[in-house]
Amino acid sequence: MKRFVPLVLVLLSFSLGICPAHATIDDALSFALEAADPYVKEGFTVREDYWGGDLPVKTTKAIVHQLFKGNEYWFWMGTDQKAAKISVHIYDSAGNLAETESWQKPHFAAARVVPKKTGSYYLIVEVEKSPDERTFWSLAYGFK
Amino acid sequence: MKKALALALVALPVSVFAATPDAPHHIDVTKLPDQARLIDNVVVPVPSEIFGVLDKLGLRPGDWVAVQRPISGVIHPTGEQPQIALLLGTVIAEGFVAVEARDSAQVKQVGKSVLSLSTALDVNDAIKPRALAITQAADKKDWAKVREELDHALEDVKKAMIRLNSESLSQLVSLGGWIRGTEALTAVVGNNYTKDGAELLHQPVLLEYFKTRLDGLKPKEKSNPVVTRVQNGVRDIRPLIGLADGVDVSEKSVREINGITSDLVKSINSKVP
Repeated sequence: MKRFVPLVLVLLSFSLGICPAHATIDDALSFALEAADPYVKEGFTVREDYWGGDLPVKTTKAIVHQLFKGNEYWFWMGTDQKAAKISVHIYDSAGNLAETESWQKPHFAAARVVPKKTGSYYLIVEVEKSPDERTFWSLAYGFK
Repeated sequence: MKKALALALVALPVSVFAATPDAPHHIDVTKLPDQARLIDNVVVPVPSEIFGVLDKLGLRPGDWVAVQRPISGVIHPTGEQPQIALLLGTVIAEGFVAVEARDSAQVKQVGKSVLSLSTALDVNDAIKPRALAITQAADKKDWAKVREELDHALEDVKKAMIRLNSESLSQLVSLGGWIRGTEALTAVVGNNYTKDGAELLHQPVLLEYFKTRLDGLKPKEKSNPVVTRVQNGVRDIRPLIGLADGVDVSEKSVREINGITSDLVKSINSKVP
């Protein structure tokens, strides 16, 4: 009986869709953190918490996040799909583009903001192109 | 998602954004779907994000000595688990205040107290290495390292609680930290009011998030008298922090928030709730 338990657990986890999703969001996070790596050397502290999910092409998601005037922030987005084109942009609570720079590369996108005010900001993430029906993504951030 | 904090995540219609390769300079946030403004899984800023800004405002260690709540001996668990979780959050926040005050003796008391409280919450294994690192860094007066370890301690405790299916308690740790941090911040800002300092209190997303999490607690946790007081306190603070953007947080509001958070910290530390 004992030897059936692991098999049952494996089957159960697959039926719940746990393993594949975790693996892929974790992969996307690895790319986001890879994008962050050079900035750590510039003194940015990278948060352990992150956002993630999967999106169809040409679909965006909004994340509401608190930022503090006086800090500088980088947001790094990653995907495990090399052929995908992803983007992240930052808007203030009035809907004005707030970022001071942003870039896109295969697997990565990033945006930097030096908030003019303390308050709520909208982080808009998008999968612009991808060969997949849904593309896994992850977004991490750092501050200094 | 293991750790994916997919709070406030909502699919937006592509039409909200201009179909140009560059990001549009403006989006109409009022036309985002209602769900876009719902706060579910917010990433709560770590205390260092706020204390880092305070460093830049030119505050001196003496400003923080005046707002310390000195810990004599080791803080032992008080009350039921929700109260202990809130207490743990306040103690970690006290560590940040001690760092600002450059008080290594207090930082070490914080390290020992964190260990004592996390034992009561069954997460001491996760926190032991952090408590040790906090003490070692305090001995060396490596304040940046102490701050980093305190941030990690907070995150490790929360992760360990989530592993124990105590996510609601992990939120109370965050909230306890926020309450004590806000008490200290309002005391310091209140003593030398500036709009820039007070602006740090403008945290509508977090207040909404804490309110939502408190509303969602299990009935048994919600009926805890300390939790009830915290719930009322958060409700009273919300209109004072400037719900609309661009509104200054007045000196009067700073004093009122300090009064509310000060009462809450006393409740959280009280043996008789």
